[in-house]
Amino acid sequence: MKKLFTIVLLIAFALLANMSLVTADMHGWWADAAAPYAGTTIRGVSESTPPSNYVADVLAAQFTELTGINVEFETTSWDQMYSKAINDMEANTGIYDFVYIEQDIIYSYLAQDYLVNLTQFAADNPDLAYEGYDESAFTSFADYFKNADGDLFGVPMEAFVKVYLYRKDLFEDAEIMAAFEEEYGYALAPAESFDQYADNAAFFTAYGESMDMDLWGTTVQGSTGHPASTYEFLESIGPSFGLYNWGINLDAGSAQSANGGALDGDTAVEALSFWLSMLPFAPPEATSSTWDEVASSFAAGRAAQGWVYGENAAWIATDESRSAVTGNVGVRLPVTAEGVIDAAMMGDGYIGYYDGGAFGVPHSSRNKEATLLWLQFIGQESVQAEWAAAGARITHTATFDDPLIAEQDTKVDGYYTLLEEQGPLFAGAPPFPFHAQVREVIDPFIQRAILGELSPAEALSQAAMAVDEELDRLGYGM
Amino acid sequence: MRNPRTGWLLLSPTLIILIIFGFMPFLYVLFVGFNEWNIFAAEDGLRFNGLDNFRRLVFDDDFLHSVGLTIRFAVFAIASEVVLGFLLAQMLTRKFPGKSLFRVIHTFPLMVAPIAVGAIWRLLVIPGFGPVPFFLDRWFDIKYQIGSFPDQALWTSVIMDVWHWTPFVTLTMLAGLSAIPREPVEQAKVDGANRLQVFWYVTLPFLRPILLTTVFIRIMDAIRTVDEVWMLAGGGPGTRFTGIYIWRVVFPRTDYGYGSSISLITLYLTVVLCWLLFIAISGRRKGEVE
Repeated sequence: MKKLFTIVLLIAFALLANMSLVTADMHGWWADAAAPYAGTTIRGVSESTPPSNYVADVLAAQFTELTGINVEFETTSWDQMYSKAINDMEANTGIYDFVYIEQDIIYSYLAQDYLVNLTQFAADNPDLAYEGYDESAFTSFADYFKNADGDLFGVPMEAFVKVYLYRKDLFEDAEIMAAFEEEYGYALAPAESFDQYADNAAFFTAYGESMDMDLWGTTVQGSTGHPASTYEFLESIGPSFGLYNWGINLDAGSAQSANGGALDGDTAVEALSFWLSMLPFAPPEATSSTWDEVASSFAAGRAAQGWVYGENAAWIATDESRSAVTGNVGVRLPVTAEGVIDAAMMGDGYIGYYDGGAFGVPHSSRNKEATLLWLQFIGQESVQAEWAAAGARITHTATFDDPLIAEQDTKVDGYYTLLEEQGPLFAGAPPFPFHAQVREVIDPFIQRAILGELSPAEALSQAAMAVDEELDRLGYGM
Repeated sequence: MRNPRTGWLLLSPTLIILIIFGFMPFLYVLFVGFNEWNIFAAEDGLRFNGLDNFRRLVFDDDFLHSVGLTIRFAVFAIASEVVLGFLLAQMLTRKFPGKSLFRVIHTFPLMVAPIAVGAIWRLLVIPGFGPVPFFLDRWFDIKYQIGSFPDQALWTSVIMDVWHWTPFVTLTMLAGLSAIPREPVEQAKVDGANRLQVFWYVTLPFLRPILLTTVFIRIMDAIRTVDEVWMLAGGGPGTRFTGIYIWRVVFPRTDYGYGSSISLITLYLTVVLCWLLFIAISGRRKGEVE
């Protein structure tokens, strides 16, 4: 027995010694590879989101400690992030060594040849290629950042889907359930159809009013001063009705039904009409809400259900210092029209937006080598799980099986499982090299529809015409 | 005798800076304004398109709407600031308890950066969280939602601008009032003029130059207002002023040619407005000499 104990102890020591050697080796590699660049400062810009804030607060400091390379990471507003990055890359000023590439803008950046081919750059600099970094370990979301040859232009740093969140404490309350059933003749449940969604919204708004509670039936990301409203309509509501690719037919170069587009078609009008009909059941801040405010409203317990970006799911469900609904958050697929899920499963459509982004290196960067090390650091498997737990983002296939994520998954009502299993039903933005330009043209019409100045049909008809004019101006028209 | 070269030598740093940072960018904008240039177009690079950009903006409803909104904003904000600023300046020429403290507190908004002013007001008026909509609803049953009602967004912008810039007008008016000699005022009183007549026939003519300068500065500021209003309402309906419209065209839309032409027209409008105002206030006509 004593002998056996000694053997086990020796094996344990050997394993521990091996592990510390591996760790020391790993640390040694980073220090050696980064030695020529120690003291260098690399600068990046991104939108202020939970995953970005984790990079700024945690990963940057770890990387600096390991390599001696300083990371200045600017997290700013969504608009400012784009302006700063594009101005820098276009003017070739070299202010930023890495920029956030939202999935929807990658096609514009690639068309302008703004970004360094990271696969090629790593191959050209084998001394800087970290063996713990493996491009094939990323989820299929990384494909959005590859060219036709499969070379990567951005290291995925966040990926999530826009899901349907609901308050379990309300939906599972016996008295509320009875009241709903009495009024509507069927059982209260998370919505699986648009009619059911509308009933839920109307019921909880009336319930909130009758109970003198700050509670409304749904969220609506309906800011009239921000593109967020256009995005919710085009990338979440539209697809769930079967309106894909913003209703723009790239081959025909048109958004108008008469020319092969669909932005002014019946499906689009139906989708916009439904979405606008939810405004009376949304909190008063809805018409000033971007994605951030929608998450805050839901976290404050002001909406019974809604469409919320998944990056917020984790903190809404678990962070008691910021959320009033922790432990009561239910997560489901967003509501879809008949046939939309089948189409998505067949690969003929999608049910909502697979959002996310990557960090890329602009050609204008003056510190490409140091930045390559940084991107490999954040792209390695060992940093993924805690990052995923903090920001509800997953970019590595292995992260789904991590014990930390498995534990977190139960607290977030299976959000991570949904992301893994149902993620392929969602899709990123269409491959437009004119993404922001055309979206800017659509914005005013959606905003005027929200204000009630235009009917859904008028708004979409005028928007489709304006899109076609812009496509002509940009050289992508018919 | 002074050497004129010394004068030019002393002026040269300022002139060089003005040429590099003022005149040359203006020439560049002028050049770009006559070109079609969008970096995300299928065909990259500048293409001369003559007056097309200017013709386009004549038919651009969004631009024309933004000009109308900007003029409404400027007129209401500046008129309120001048009236309030004058009254406060008059008050500050007299003695009253706590005058020094009041003057300091009253000047505080001037010290706040415009973007911070926008943030403060956004926190005050954001529906659902801000105290202003809460109390307006609770006490007066008024639905105050700047995202839903463009007029409310416009008036909130005006009030925010008045809050921010009235102290500036007060200080300039105070300087003007302090510089008025006592004799004409006393003479007018001896001649039997009442307070209104003293103000109209003595104070106002003396204040005219300073009033003109203040209004010019405020007009130029109001027409190019972006940051405060951007922060407050994101440039949505009711607050999509010309400055914000230009920002949207130039940055997210990257339509540099068209954005430059709008900038040039806005500059032209500002000059014309200031000139008209100069004629109106100073009463000068063509050929008149001071």
